[in-house]
Amino acid sequence: MKKLIFVAFFLFAFSAVYAQQAPQLYTLPSPFERYTHYLVTARLTGAVPLGSFSDNYIDKSSFQNYSISLEWVLRNSPLSLGGEIGTTYFEKRIPRALYESGDETVSAVQTRTLTQHPVQFFANYHFLGKSSSIQPYVQLSGGASILDYTLYYGTLAQQKQKVAPTYGIGVGSKFLFKKDGKFGADVRVKYQGTSFKYDYIDKGISSVNASVGLFYRWW
Amino acid sequence: MFKIKFRLINILNTKEKMLKGTSLFILIAALGLFSCSTDPINDLSTEESLVYITNQDKTADYKQYKTFSIVDSVLVVENNQSGTALTEIDRTLLSRIITNMQNLGYKYVAPGAKPDVGINAAWVTNTQLNVVSQPSYYGNYWGGGGFGGYGYGYPSYYQYYETSESYWLISMVDFKNPNTADKTFKVIWDAQIRGSGIGSTNYIDQMVDSIFSQSAYLKNK
Repeated sequence: MKKLIFVAFFLFAFSAVYAQQAPQLYTLPSPFERYTHYLVTARLTGAVPLGSFSDNYIDKSSFQNYSISLEWVLRNSPLSLGGEIGTTYFEKRIPRALYESGDETVSAVQTRTLTQHPVQFFANYHFLGKSSSIQPYVQLSGGASILDYTLYYGTLAQQKQKVAPTYGIGVGSKFLFKKDGKFGADVRVKYQGTSFKYDYIDKGISSVNASVGLFYRWW
Repeated sequence: MFKIKFRLINILNTKEKMLKGTSLFILIAALGLFSCSTDPINDLSTEESLVYITNQDKTADYKQYKTFSIVDSVLVVENNQSGTALTEIDRTLLSRIITNMQNLGYKYVAPGAKPDVGINAAWVTNTQLNVVSQPSYYGNYWGGGGFGGYGYGYPSYYQYYETSESYWLISMVDFKNPNTADKTFKVIWDAQIRGSGIGSTNYIDQMVDSIFSQSAYLKNK
């Protein structure tokens, strides 16, 4: 009898342990939730000029824009912090026209260009958890932009280079390819403004940038 | 391409001990982004590359001038040294200027017949010698291996390169109202023709027509 009670106790104890362990295996949070991890994103961006930059200088959208960002996704927090570096290039050709200033008249084909290399720090606020396969976020960013304004009259160039403050605000979402996976896609729409005043540009450079990217995360 | 590659390899060699993997990744990516740049004007045609610049004297009353003459050859100015020339292109240029002036209503007279205005044509070339220091990171890669952690000790080398630009300069001089005090004739109009096709006879008529057509205020009819 004693033996029987002993066996029954063990069976009960083991089944209790087993019953507790089994669900734990499936509810164990993914390492991306348990640890602060890194996330690197490469983006391809289409940019649409806005405001006076578009009215006075270049109104043509640009698709020759790239960026790469690295972010630290914080543990137990909806925030991630990081840095992004990129390049944006706007160009517009204007057929031969007359440009008058004072006593001077210039007849030329203008090629208007603007190159920007923004270097920015950013903070993302995520609305859903790190293991969610869709992770919408909002983004605030600020930094400096290395600017090159080159306006060609025919083959003659007028150039101005400057480092100017830049900022941005955006919304986007990450999409994981696999649950708790390392790879995913990133879609973001962002307003970007840079303070710059020279020649045709009188109120800064602003654009809406829509990007599609791929990310890789690790801890 | 090779320069970019060497630059990356050099940075990999010298900085890898100091930087963590992630920072290095950003650095390489950044260099990749910065290194690529396109030439936005390489698709311009010769005609599109031409730039016509004209200056007018807004105080001048062009209606008062009735006659004009023109130099018999083109002044060639190179780095402040000058001479004259009369090649085929120069002759085409001068005769096209005469045609345009006559179309505007001016009468062509001989240089000795006291013209109201005189036209000068010049081919100006400015050559400049520029200097840059040679960045050492272009040549810091030793493919043979075995010298990990060493860079090259470069003295300061400099590279020289020459740039040169030519343009046509056509000026209209007021002979009717000379400044007797300091013995000068005032330039009341001038035109510069710049661009890549300016030495070609194919475009000379078009170039001359353009500088006059954008200066309608010269009309004397």
